[in-house]
Amino acid sequence: MSEDAKKSNRSGSRHPIALLAEEAYAAFAELGFEIALGPELESEWYNFDVLNVPPDHPARDMQDTFWIKDKPGSILRTHCTSVSAREIEKAGKEGRLPCAFISIGKVFRNEATDITHEMQFYQIDGVMIGSIEDGVSLANLKGVLTKFYKKMLGEDVEVEFRPSFFPFTEPSIEVFAKFKGKWLEMMGSGMLHPNVLKNCGLDPEKVQGFAFGGGLDRIAMIKWGIPDVRLFYQGDLRLNQF
Amino acid sequence: MKVSYNWLKWYIPDAPEAEKLADIFTYHVAEVESVEALPDGDSIFDIKILPNRAPDLLSHQGIARELSSLLSIKFVDPTPKYKVPESKSTELKVELNTNACRRYMGRIIRNVKVCPSPEWMIKHLESIGERSISNVVDATNIVMFDCGEPTHIFDLNKVKEKIIVRQAKEGETMTTLDNKKCTFTSSDFVIADIENALAIGGVKGGKAAEVDSKTTDLILEVANFDPTIVRKTSARTGIRTEGSKRWENSPSPELAAYGMLELSALIAEMCPEAIFEEVVDIYPKQPEEKKLVFSNERISSILGLKVTNEEIKNILERYHIEYTEKDGNFEITVPHMRLDLTSEEDMAEEIGRVLGYDKVKPIIPKIDFKSKANEDYEKMKKVRAYLLSQGYSEVMTTSFREKGQVEVLESASDKKFLRENLHVGLRESAELNKRNLPLLLQNQVMIFEIGTVWSPQEEMHIAFTDSTASEVKELSLDEFYKTIPLEFLSEPINFNSETKFKMWSLYPFISRDIAVWMPKDENAVTLKKLLIENATELLVKEPYLVDSFVGKDGRISYAFRLVFQSYERTLTDAEINEIMDKISNKIKAKNGWQVR
Repeated sequence: MSEDAKKSNRSGSRHPIALLAEEAYAAFAELGFEIALGPELESEWYNFDVLNVPPDHPARDMQDTFWIKDKPGSILRTHCTSVSAREIEKAGKEGRLPCAFISIGKVFRNEATDITHEMQFYQIDGVMIGSIEDGVSLANLKGVLTKFYKKMLGEDVEVEFRPSFFPFTEPSIEVFAKFKGKWLEMMGSGMLHPNVLKNCGLDPEKVQGFAFGGGLDRIAMIKWGIPDVRLFYQGDLRLNQF
Repeated sequence: MKVSYNWLKWYIPDAPEAEKLADIFTYHVAEVESVEALPDGDSIFDIKILPNRAPDLLSHQGIARELSSLLSIKFVDPTPKYKVPESKSTELKVELNTNACRRYMGRIIRNVKVCPSPEWMIKHLESIGERSISNVVDATNIVMFDCGEPTHIFDLNKVKEKIIVRQAKEGETMTTLDNKKCTFTSSDFVIADIENALAIGGVKGGKAAEVDSKTTDLILEVANFDPTIVRKTSARTGIRTEGSKRWENSPSPELAAYGMLELSALIAEMCPEAIFEEVVDIYPKQPEEKKLVFSNERISSILGLKVTNEEIKNILERYHIEYTEKDGNFEITVPHMRLDLTSEEDMAEEIGRVLGYDKVKPIIPKIDFKSKANEDYEKMKKVRAYLLSQGYSEVMTTSFREKGQVEVLESASDKKFLRENLHVGLRESAELNKRNLPLLLQNQVMIFEIGTVWSPQEEMHIAFTDSTASEVKELSLDEFYKTIPLEFLSEPINFNSETKFKMWSLYPFISRDIAVWMPKDENAVTLKKLLIENATELLVKEPYLVDSFVGKDGRISYAFRLVFQSYERTLTDAEINEIMDKISNKIKAKNGWQVR
C-alpha cells in the first residue's frame, strides 16, 4: 500500500450491492440464519436436477444458461438455490436439523442486457428446514420475509403472497412488497418440494421447510431509485452514493 | 393466454365485473399481466398460466370452471347443446405406429361448404388476437381456445388411402401451411398418408392435405401427443404454435372426446348438409384413475394456518372432486384435468390459494438453529472494512472477458471467457474513474474489488490500486487477510437510508479551478458561497477545496474546483468562460479579495 494511500484519512465509498448484502446478511443472521457461500461455476446437478427441474425444462437451454466448454454438466449457476441445496444436504448428513441458511451471491443468465437485465447479478436465497413437529410453514416464511423487507425498505412496507409455480417448491408463492403505495414483485418462494428434500437425502415424511430467492439488485434499485441494473458492474465510482 | 370476458360469460353468466375478476385471478389463480377494454364492451385479460395449470387453464372453459368453483357461481355446461347428426359407418383407416401419439380420434365429414365464419366466431377469435380464415379452420381454433384441445382438419380427397401416425424418416421433408420447408430427423413424428407427411405431429399442419375453398370432404383429427417429443421437435424446427404449447404441458387424453364432440357439432351447425361418419378412436392405454391421500393436520402445518375439515370438504365439493374423509384424513379421486395434483403439498397449495394466502399470517419461527459463523464471509467482510478504512472504494466489474482459461459454450455477448484475474478489469475501472476525478471530488483513484476468478480453479481474489501506485495488486482472499493488522477492528456500517440515487449526466463535464487571495480574518465559506451563487445551475458538484496556504503577507489563498455539466447537452468552453469571468468580477469587487 502506498504512503499516499496510508495518509488519506478519508474512508472509501461502498458499492451499493456490497452494502445491501451486508445489511441483508445481518437481518437474516438476527433471525437465526447461517450464512452460506458456494461455487459460482456449478454442476448441472445442484443447479437443476436436485431442484426437481425436469431434464427438458426450457431453463436448461443454451439460450438461457451458460454452459462451460469442454466440461459437460458444468454451468454458471442461475440462482443461489444451488447453495441452499448443498447446505441442507450437508446439514442432513451432519444431523444439524433444524437448520436455516442464507446465501447472497453472483448468478448468471445468458440473455441480452437492458435496463432490467444483466448477464450477471446478485441473488439472495434462503432456506429453513425443521422436523414435522417444528412445523416450519408458509406463515413462518411470511414472518421472516416481512421482517426482512421492513429492514431493507422501511417499516411501512407490507408483504403479500400470490399463487405461483416453481419446480422446487410446493406450494409455490410469488412474494410482493408494497413500497410507496405500489405492489412490486420481489421473490419466488414456497415450501420445499418433497422431491428436492429427497434429492438432498432428507425424508419428506419427517421434515418440512421453506425456500425463497430473488434479486438483490432489484431491492437496491427499488430502495435507492437506481434506474439501470447494468450500472452495478461497470466499475464506475459515481455509483457509490450511499 | 388471452382470455375474453364475454367468452367466459357464456359459461359463467354471473361472473363479477372484469376489474374485480383481475384481482380474483391474481390472488387465487394466476398472474394477470394486462387487462384491455375493447370498444365493443369486452375485456381481454392476458393471464400468465404456469406449467402446473396449463393442462386445464389454457382454455376459456377451463378458466370458467375454475372461477365457477372458486366463486361458487353457476357453470353452464355446453355439452347438451352440441348436436351431431346420426353418423354412418366409416371408411376412415388410421394406423398408429408410434408411442408419441397417446390417442387418435378421426372422423370423416362429407359434403361440407367452406365459407366465411359466422359473426360470433369471427368476434371470438378476433377478440383474443386471432385471425378468422374460414368456417372449417376457425372451428378448430375455437375448439382449442374454448376447451384446450388442439385439433386439425385434412382435406380427405388429398389424403392417399389412410392416415398413418409414425416416426419421421431421417431427412424426410414437408412444407408447412405457411410455406416453410422443414427437414425431419428420426426423433420427430408425423401424421402421414401412404406417401407423404401431412403434418408435423402436434406442431403444425402441412400444405399437402390443406383445406382450401374447394374442399368438400374432411378428416377431423382430435388426438393426444407426447409432451417431450412435441417440445423437442418444436424447439428444433423453431416452430412454436398454440397447439404445440398445449401439448408440451401434457393435457389429458380424456379431453379428446370432448374436443371431437365440440368440433363436430360446430361444423354440423355451420354446414347443415354435411354427412357425418362415425369416429375412429385409437386409444392404446387409457390413464388409470388416480387416488390421493392427505390429512387436514398436514395441510394446516404446511400453511401455518388452522384449516377445518368443513373448509376442506367445501372446497372439494365446489371443485367437484370426489372424496372420502375420516378423522381429518381425506382420500380423493384426482380429476383427469388436474393431474398436477399428486401430493399432500399440492393439496396444501390448492386449499391455500382457494382460501387466499392473505389468511396466512406472518409468524416468526421460534427455533434455535445453533447457527455457526461462516469463516470465508467473515474474512471478506473484514477485508472490505479494512480497505474502506484505508480510503479505498469498492467497485464491481464484469466476470466475462475476451480472454481467460474457462470458456462458456454460447453467450449473448462476445466476451466468452470467465475472468482469470481481477486486475485487468480493475485497471479499466481506474482509467474510467480517473477521467471523472473532478466529479468524484477526489484527487486520486483508490479502488478495490473482491470477486471470483477462474485460473482455472475458482478462487476468491482481492485486487486494489491507487493512482500513485503504477500497478494493481492482487492477492487471494486468504493471502490478503493475513496482511490486515491484528489490531484492526471493523466498525458497524453507518449510512443514511433516506439518500436517493442521483443519476449522472451522460454528457462531458468541464472542470475549472479558481484560486483567490483573501484577508486573514475571512474564511473559505464566504468564498464557497459566492461561487455557488454565481456558478449557475450548470454547477453539478459543490465547489471542492483543492488547495490552501498562507502567504507571506498573512493573506490566505484558497483554491476551489468547479465542475460544470448539463443533463441535456455538451457544454462549450465559451459559455463556461463567461461564467468564470462573471465570478472573477464579483471577487474583484470584494474588498481585499484578489484572483490569483
